[in-house]
Amino acid sequence: MPYDLDLLDETAWRDLVDRFGYRMWAVARAFGLNSTDAADAVQAAWLRLVESAHTIRDPERVGAWLVTTTRHEAARILRGRAGDAPTGLPDEIPAPDGDPVAVMLTEEHGRRLWAAVDTLPMPCRSLLRLIVAAPEAGYAQLARRLDMPIGSIGPTRIRCLKRLRSLMEDER
Amino acid sequence: MNDEEYLLAALRIASGADPVPARVSVEARAVYGLRLPGAVTAGPVELPTDGGAWPLSGVRSAIRSDGCSAEGEPRLLRFAADGLTIDVEITVCDSHLDLAGQMHPAPAKGARVEIRTPHVSKIRFPSETGEFATTGLPHGWLSVVCHRPGDPPVATRWHRIRR
Repeated sequence: MPYDLDLLDETAWRDLVDRFGYRMWAVARAFGLNSTDAADAVQAAWLRLVESAHTIRDPERVGAWLVTTTRHEAARILRGRAGDAPTGLPDEIPAPDGDPVAVMLTEEHGRRLWAAVDTLPMPCRSLLRLIVAAPEAGYAQLARRLDMPIGSIGPTRIRCLKRLRSLMEDER
Repeated sequence: MNDEEYLLAALRIASGADPVPARVSVEARAVYGLRLPGAVTAGPVELPTDGGAWPLSGVRSAIRSDGCSAEGEPRLLRFAADGLTIDVEITVCDSHLDLAGQMHPAPAKGARVEIRTPHVSKIRFPSETGEFATTGLPHGWLSVVCHRPGDPPVATRWHRIRR
């Protein structure tokens, strides 16, 4: 059933919050944002939904759009925190459908990812576990916990995530 | 495509750690009450590079409250839609925000300005030259809505202000 946002009733709105709130939160935290900033990123997506006023035809697509928009806003907040000059202008609002990868953010997909993580060599296994368990841990903290040089955390993180992704692609 | 964050997010979801804080869900539900059916959304526009053209310094000095003056320059924002331009100047203080603004062209009689945060709404009646101001807003998201007699309301995009 198509929803017109102006007519969307509160029950349907709460249903969107229940179905997609956790995925939005997880995406914001995956950027390493603290809880205040992550909460801002999630709230941004809901506010953008209110102001974009497009017709909602399919709740799954709206869900993907909310997740994608959370990701955009989280990236923007992170850039601001990193001291990049803010332009004062918000990013473009994502296209109505969101990006297709956002749809894959399910518990089932996560479980298959964990199974793949368990097959990765060290230090990837430990590094990814720590990053997930302690989203706000900086590279210095990760380096201490894993007894690795701080300069190698970033490149190792990228390499481990690439390996994980290619394992998942092989599985398909 | 760079989907690292999505991989990490999916891992986080399956791990079940770090559930959504209750207040995040409460706030998400509350956004429903912020809908403005029929309103026109005013997007941000670039400010003129000539800073001297900025008109609001008189309003700002009138409202600036104690404890804010030493903290950097105020944030200047301009939004436009439906023939209306809304200038907003925000002073970030330790515990709150002060806001001064002006709408162009000057509003017709009976216009009012609503300064909104997710939890607070303040109504101001703009001066003959379209100026308005308020103090004591919480840090976080805010939007300015101009209600014009006979025309649809114009609401600025929500904008996040934190230190």
